[in-house]
Amino acid sequence: MDRLKEKVRELLKTGKAAGFVGYKMTEGGHVLPHFFTKDRLEEVDEAAVCPGDARYPLDKLLQAVAAKYPEETFAILVRGCDERGLNELFKWGQLEPDKVVLVGIACPQELADYCECPGPYDKVPGPFASVIDYGEKCAPVKKSERVIRVDALAEDERFKEWHAHFDRCVKCYGCRDVCPMCFCKECSLEHPEFITTATVPPSNPEFHLARATHMAGRCIDCGLCEETCPADIPLRVLYKKGNQMVKELFGYETGSPPDTKSPFTLLGEEVTLETKPL
Amino acid sequence: MADKEFEPKIIGFFCNWCTYAGADLAGVSRLQYPPNIRVIRVMCSGTVSPHHVLRALQKGADGVLIGGCHIGDCHYLKGNYMTIKRIRFLQDILKFTGFNPERLHLEWISAAEGPKFAQVVRDFTEKIKKLGPTPIKRAA
Repeated sequence: MDRLKEKVRELLKTGKAAGFVGYKMTEGGHVLPHFFTKDRLEEVDEAAVCPGDARYPLDKLLQAVAAKYPEETFAILVRGCDERGLNELFKWGQLEPDKVVLVGIACPQELADYCECPGPYDKVPGPFASVIDYGEKCAPVKKSERVIRVDALAEDERFKEWHAHFDRCVKCYGCRDVCPMCFCKECSLEHPEFITTATVPPSNPEFHLARATHMAGRCIDCGLCEETCPADIPLRVLYKKGNQMVKELFGYETGSPPDTKSPFTLLGEEVTLETKPL
Repeated sequence: MADKEFEPKIIGFFCNWCTYAGADLAGVSRLQYPPNIRVIRVMCSGTVSPHHVLRALQKGADGVLIGGCHIGDCHYLKGNYMTIKRIRFLQDILKFTGFNPERLHLEWISAAEGPKFAQVVRDFTEKIKKLGPTPIKRAA
């Protein structure tokens, strides 16, 4: 922890970063996101890293900060999934790579197992960032058991299960609001032309499949959507499967560094997929 | 009361330059195909959004058929590559959530392929008849 705090102090003192988006231990014993700056350097003493108990979408907070101060460089605390998020945000034009400094951590094995954190494949971060200032590398989970279980069910069982899950949705938009990758100014989940609005539960399965389709090539598997959901819908399983499909169909790994882009953004990319026979 | 045979509702998104013209040719040639299909003309199959397909399914379509130009022949050069990327993904995600992906079909049909158009519609309607009504409850 001291190594990380020292690094943050260095970055702030030398002005390499105008601020640090991290966590701070509050008086109540909670760990909350905090924006550390040079004028209040003593706060860095209370900087915290609680990857298991306190997970917030720091890359989403960074977007808000960077939007207000586009010329400044900021440091951010990243787990593996946050770094995947940053890679994607660079590609989607939401953040500038040279204006972000990483302060990376490695997640504990229990968290990696709970998240079924995949990878690292090639250059895609797994349950640890590419720069590690805290923690020890642990073993990633190669295959998601939760996805495998659903894949093995018969078609109508799968339908019943997912239908029951989606029926509990109260349309709180928690999944969308907490998602670091959801930055659209106008969300199609609120657009009456795209989905049936003004119903609770929202149209089943249109609402969730629309979100799942939007998450293709975008979801970085941070798991916050599922944790936020008050109805315990296993959203992560759906989006994990989406990521797997994007990998199988297009060979694209969501969260990879900015030398490739999502196949759904590449207009005019000539693919060799073929139509299925009738 | 006699059991009426199930008549599926099929929505067809057909690109203006190829498939729709092919459908026109089938009509002019008096080729017969079942009337279950409801046609929506789009300028390019690449403009068919997953939202359109999901709306159709949510509104009670038993099947969705998408017709576009052959690969390499798109009127807008590369629109149909986007179509196949999207539709393949959509088919897989529908399958994962327990919805039979065979209810969503993509076919490349050119403007000269009138007989092929009629055959595809005939075969698809037959297939949807066999699969039965959609399991999705129709939204208001």
